[in-house]
Parts: sequence; structure tokens; C-alpha cells
Amino acid sequence: MECKLIRPTDLDEALAAREEYTDGLPIAGGQSLLVMMRNRLISPGALIDLEPVEALRGIEVQSTGISIGAMNTCRQLIASPVLREEVGVLPSAARQVSSTAVRNLGTIGGNVCHNEPGADLPPVLLALNGRAVLRRRTHGREVPLEEFFTGYFETALEADEILCRIDIEHPNAAGVYLKHAISPEDLAIVGVAAVVVPDSERPGAVAEARIGIGGAAPVPLRASRTEAALKGAVLDEETARAAGELASTEVDTGSDPHASAGYRRKMVAVFVRRALLHAANQMMGNGHGAA
Amino acid sequence: MALLDLKVNGQEAQVEAPDTALLLDVLRERLFLTGAKRGCETSHCGCCTVRVDGMAVHSCVVLAARCQGKEITTVEGCGDGMELDRLQRLFLEHGAVQCGYCGPGMLMAAKALLERNPQPTLDEVKKGLDGNLCRCTGYTPIFDAILAYSRGA
Repeated sequence: MECKLIRPTDLDEALAAREEYTDGLPIAGGQSLLVMMRNRLISPGALIDLEPVEALRGIEVQSTGISIGAMNTCRQLIASPVLREEVGVLPSAARQVSSTAVRNLGTIGGNVCHNEPGADLPPVLLALNGRAVLRRRTHGREVPLEEFFTGYFETALEADEILCRIDIEHPNAAGVYLKHAISPEDLAIVGVAAVVVPDSERPGAVAEARIGIGGAAPVPLRASRTEAALKGAVLDEETARAAGELASTEVDTGSDPHASAGYRRKMVAVFVRRALLHAANQMMGNGHGAA
Repeated sequence: MALLDLKVNGQEAQVEAPDTALLLDVLRERLFLTGAKRGCETSHCGCCTVRVDGMAVHSCVVLAARCQGKEITTVEGCGDGMELDRLQRLFLEHGAVQCGYCGPGMLMAAKALLERNPQPTLDEVKKGLDGNLCRCTGYTPIFDAILAYSRGA
């Protein structure tokens, strides 16, 4: 059966199409979806093209944070002056997504909804306290990304919903994303994002450290026990090492042809330590530097 | 099926194709522009790279319908169809082409890079070609050709 292409002109039309075509799927950049179709992993009856939908574009600074339209491509994230200034860790991770051609078309919304293990943006967006802003025809809802990523290639997105925006906090913080991969354009075997909020009362100490981990487990996650242990800590070599060890016990890793579970766990320890030390250096060098 | 209005290498073309036809298929099988090669078909190898509004894209993961109203450039758009252009000649001079299968994609990725960044460093050239695999040359002659171009050689 031939797959139809629906080209809505605005969000209302897109949401109506989403409701009407129960066997349809929204297409953002298409960089993963069209590969899934080509490999016959999915056979949607219709594709609902989100490219013409203006409401899914733009990057807006709000009082509480930054709202990023789901159709922003990696290329646009990398080029955004606002993101570079305010949350440098996000464009820096976007620069590490796959290859130039894929970054030219692949979107933040597609990356998040595809939820492929080893994707680069989810751990960063988790560490930035990201929230998925979802809409269906009748109403909308917001889901913290920790609850949005539900399983292996699975998310909380319902069959009649569209991910419209991702809202992130506007942190007065330092942030780093480190990726461990065989080749830089591969998916991460382990990808670690660390966002560190300095304690304004005690120089050198962290008020809060947030750690997002991708690749290591079927679902990207926050290392919440490690984060709790780091509250108020001074981030030196020893603290970072201990945090890495603790984080490695928080991931439910698996083996695949790229890496064994044991190796992944070890790499979580290494990369959490390195990411925290990098973030701490950034914090020292520049008190309220861009995350 | 859909009727698509495309502009390829400066020429308007109307083609009938399935709704969700891929740009690569339309170029090769409807317009007989076989410069863009069919490789992995999963956006890894880059031998199907063409430019859409100047950007390098893997045409195996682009819907042809989305390219309406945009400028599509393939390797057939280099030079004047008889004479090679300067970058193509430099590829030849540096031995950047052995089996040649990656060549059209490499050229289109390189052109996108050089337009964005006319004086790239070696690292920037590598990053710009990170979506294109070559299994013959070891890449060095390709990088050399691109750097020679940027030096005005």
C-alpha cells in the first residue's frame, strides 16, 4: 500500500491529520524515520509533514528558560546565538550528532521522539531539566523528559499527539557533553552530559550537579543518586572519581556488538568523572559561564 | 502519486512519483541523473549526497516532495556538462578518485563546505566530509584537492 504524504499548513491542520490518520506518523527531519521505513521496520499509511508548520520553529527566551521549537535542525541549534550564549552545552552536543548532512536536516524533536539509544541530545536535554511540550487536537500537556523517555525507542508520545517544543531551564551553570564512540559520527557507546550550578555562597562548591547519561542503557537517564551525593560538594578529582563510580551503578547496561555491559559500565564511570571535572573547570574559569 | 515541480541544476522539471518518493530515486529513475549514487540507502555512506538550497544532504533520506521550491544541485550541475570545473579537475590531479563511486557525493559535500567556509583548515575539511565514506583513497588525496582549491591552486 502506498504511503500518503500529508502537508498541513499549520499546527491545527497537522493535529487534525494526526487524529484522522491513525496509521500515520509525523515526519520531522526524516533522517531516522526514512531509514526505518526503508528497512521495513515501520510501514506507516501516511506521513504528516511537519516542515511547513511555523509553530514548531523558533527559539524563544522566556523568563523561566528557553523554549526550542521541535523542528529546529541540529544545524540551527549549532548556529543559534542565544543557545551558544546561554546553554553552550546544547549546540556543542548538536555538533556531535552524526554527520554534516544529517545535522543539516535532523531535528531536535525527531531526535527526542526517535529515542535511539546513544543519541546525543537526550542526555543533554535531561541535564537541562528539559520538558516536552505536547499537543493533541483538543488540548496540550507537558511531560518532564525523564518521564518522556519510556523505553527502547519508545516515548510517552501518544498516537494523536505532536511534540511541539522542548523547554529547557536557563541555568546559571556550566555544562559539558562528552561522547564515547568508535567514530565521531556514530551513536554514543556512552554519552554523558554534566550541568553544574555553582553555590553562590561557597566558592568552588556546587549547589547542584545534574547528570544525563545516554547510550549506556536502553533509555537515557538522569543519575539521580549521584546527583544527590554531589549536592554541596567541592568538585575535585576524588569527588569526581567517586561520583563516576556511583553513576556506573545507576545504569542498567546491556551488551551489544559495539560494547559489553561491563565495558559500558566502566566507561560511564570514566566519562562521568571527566564531564564533572570539565564542568568544574568551566565553572571556576567563568562563574556563570554558558552551560 | 503526486506531480512534483522540481528545479534541478537550474532546470525546471515536472515528474510524477509516489507521494513519499525519495529524492535519490526521483533523480536517478525519473530524471536519469545518475551522478548521485545509490550506496547504503541508510544515510551512512554519503555517495548519494546532493545539495538542496546549498546544503549537503543525503538524498536517500530526503522526500522529493519537500524539495519543491528549492534549488537542487547534483554533480551534473558542476562545470558546463562538457568541461570539468576547477574542483573536479583538482580531484583528478590529486588522485582523489579511484573507483569513483564516492566522487559525486564528495564533490557536493566539498562544494557545500567551501561555500560556507572558503578557507577551511584540514580539520574543518574532515568535519565537512564526515558524512562521506571513501574505501579507496584513504581520504588524503581528497583533502589535498579541497585544500588546494581553497589556496587557489
